[in-house]
Amino acid sequence: MQPLIAIRGLCKRFGPVQALKNVAATFEAGEIHAVLGENGAGKSTLVNLLAGFLMPDAGSLELDGAPLPLGDPVAIRNMGVAMVHQHFMLVPEFTVAENLALARTGRTLERLEPLDRAAGSLAMAERLGWKLDPKARTGDLPVGVQQRIEILKALGDDRRVLILDEPTAVLGPDEVEELFRVLRDLREKGMAILLIAHKLSEVMAVANRATVLRRGEVVASAPIADVDEATLAAWMVGDVPPRAERPSAKSATEFQGLRLSGLRVLGDRGESAITDLGLEVPRGAIVGIGGVDGNGQVELAEAIVGVRSFSGELVWVPHGEPAIAYIPQSRQKDGLALKMSVLDNLAIAGHLRTEMRRGPFLRTRALSHWGGELVGKYAIKVGALDDPVGSLSGGNQQKVVVARELDREPDLVVAVNPTRGLDVRAARFVHEQLAQARDRGAAVLLISTDLDELAAMADETFFLLGGRLRSGDGAEAMVGGAA
Amino acid sequence: MKKTLLPALGALLGLTLALVLTLVAFGMPVADSLGLIWEGSVGSSGGWMRTAVKATPLMLMGLGMAVAWRAGMYNIGGEGQFLAGALGGAAAAKLLSAVPALALKPLVLVSGFVWGGLFALIAGWLLVKRGVNVVISTILLNFVAIQLFEWALTGSLQEAKGRTPQTDRLPDAMMLFRFDRQNDLHSGVLIALVAVVVVYAILFLTPTGFRVRLAGENPQAARANRIPPARYQLIAMALSGGLCGLAASVEFLGITGQLAKGFNQQLGFIAIPVALLGNLHPVGVGLSAVYFGGLFAGSENLARFSNFGTTVMFVIQGTAVWAYVGVRTVLERRQLAGAEVES
Repeated sequence: MQPLIAIRGLCKRFGPVQALKNVAATFEAGEIHAVLGENGAGKSTLVNLLAGFLMPDAGSLELDGAPLPLGDPVAIRNMGVAMVHQHFMLVPEFTVAENLALARTGRTLERLEPLDRAAGSLAMAERLGWKLDPKARTGDLPVGVQQRIEILKALGDDRRVLILDEPTAVLGPDEVEELFRVLRDLREKGMAILLIAHKLSEVMAVANRATVLRRGEVVASAPIADVDEATLAAWMVGDVPPRAERPSAKSATEFQGLRLSGLRVLGDRGESAITDLGLEVPRGAIVGIGGVDGNGQVELAEAIVGVRSFSGELVWVPHGEPAIAYIPQSRQKDGLALKMSVLDNLAIAGHLRTEMRRGPFLRTRALSHWGGELVGKYAIKVGALDDPVGSLSGGNQQKVVVARELDREPDLVVAVNPTRGLDVRAARFVHEQLAQARDRGAAVLLISTDLDELAAMADETFFLLGGRLRSGDGAEAMVGGAA
Repeated sequence: MKKTLLPALGALLGLTLALVLTLVAFGMPVADSLGLIWEGSVGSSGGWMRTAVKATPLMLMGLGMAVAWRAGMYNIGGEGQFLAGALGGAAAAKLLSAVPALALKPLVLVSGFVWGGLFALIAGWLLVKRGVNVVISTILLNFVAIQLFEWALTGSLQEAKGRTPQTDRLPDAMMLFRFDRQNDLHSGVLIALVAVVVVYAILFLTPTGFRVRLAGENPQAARANRIPPARYQLIAMALSGGLCGLAASVEFLGITGQLAKGFNQQLGFIAIPVALLGNLHPVGVGLSAVYFGGLFAGSENLARFSNFGTTVMFVIQGTAVWAYVGVRTVLERRQLAGAEVES
């Protein structure tokens, strides 16, 4: 049988980087096909070429035997190939309905009724059990909900191929399950689904077939039934990553660390985000906070690090001000100034150090020496310290944040989804660094939607639901027993 | 360096092209006119001096714009801050006229800086405390400043004779040092050059400047690192307005010696393309101010020896800036395409 999509001899180069080398692959209708690989392996490049957002240097793309118009996203979309991007293509100022209507605007002079045009998508949202307020401002919604809008935009029309670029990176476990339900549904209807993924457990759960890329080349392609996680991991990184050992909890003596009680925090729209929260994060331990996005995680983190006002008690025991390391949820929004250089972004913390100053001036040479050391120590892949940090891959951007924050030798670490969107190796690196910070005696608060991560890292885990803390272990606590 | 060089070349090309096209469009003899512009700007020692005179206020104000824009404060109020600085300078000169000239001159300069800075802080305060868009508040404050200026010239600062809306002319002792009797070139140009170095040092060699830039590039990242962006936006705004005010008092002490209608010469608006052409970098702004200064001086020479008004200069400037922006956009797009290697 002829494959729905056939890729032959695909090459793409960005400056000195050969992103794809002679890639060949086929994708069948009625199949969920996972594309795996580490950061920088070429996954995004591959799908961006397929969807027409990039022009290949060489090679051909065929849909149902007919060549796809290379580099023409509109024509390719009209042929039935839709893509859900890793980074949202939403207008934050628009309402949900307006964003949905954007995907299906007609001629310029036609009357635009966002609610009418979005009706189909909204009905689909209802069928999927997704609660969406069509009049809500998109930018105010949590990322998980924003992604649903992206998926709805792609699904709305008569599609034959759906490409999802790391869709689960921003979702909580129950949302992932829902997404997979939807994907299986679409597979039954005969669509070809390309799924870029990092998490092997998810690939095993939903995909029929996996193709693994490493440094721009196809390493292997096999039906899921024939492989296991270890095999896939080995293909991806070239060796099998050891599973992190669950660290043993430290014995409790006199409590030292962060103590919260009766904490109340308001969200951006003045809604109550955290209600009456009490928590102790002892030195030398990692306390995990699980739960689905939008249940007060970001507000809790921001209150603790001091960028959001709160009421209630938030104290460092026994006394004083702890040195805080903050790894925010969104490195691009809160962590980095993308146009500034790698060195400048490291210097956000570094310029505070006394040895980096002389009178009113910065010791720029000492600063860049220190930056160079940090880049080496944390194995950040950069061309030059002066390159804009936005030119690094996602994993290396995150390493910049981690290096900068943990190098403060903090007393308290607040990390929100620190491995989101990272490949196996980079995630393991972040975990090692967090564990080291703990071993140095820092109190670590790890807020994560990834249950595996919490299980592997945290000495103790709580769950946030609707701004309240619950103890428990597992999915029940995350969704309040009503999954 | 390549990053800044290419757009500059683009601007030069645009300038040349614009010059030729404009001259053709106005039916002027191209070669003769180009010669006049060349001679009036950089083709003679007198031309160079006139270029330096014109470049001086543009350099100070361009630096001011660069500082504010670096902090994400899109200050369009150079005009108003310039006039506020002019009033500050003239007020100091009048109120402290008993002070000996040698001591009074720096006081006038400082007063101009302070008044310009305070005037800019109104817009800064409106943003930080009330969330008012800086572009809008600074534009509107320009009108406030223009009215204040005219009010002062018919009121407290008016000449003793009380006939014309202008201040009394300063005694010669109060004027800045002139390098050449035949020419306006005054020591204010040194102030502008020193300002280039000082602004560079502040922006790139001090913690404060680093935070100003961070607050401009990503205020949220600054906040997440417990650096309050509002404070650094205010600092940038004060410095920006201060430089515009300083430009005014330098013009006052260096060239005019009195305030009258038309004192501002719309320098506040030309300062924006000066800053943009200089890529918001102090050294770039210095060069771009010389470039614009040369345009002014050259087209004044053209106007002197032809029946061709100086307005043509604005057409040329517009095209030059436009060419620069075009080249920059193309280059940025290419850079972005390179950055898409990510994952």
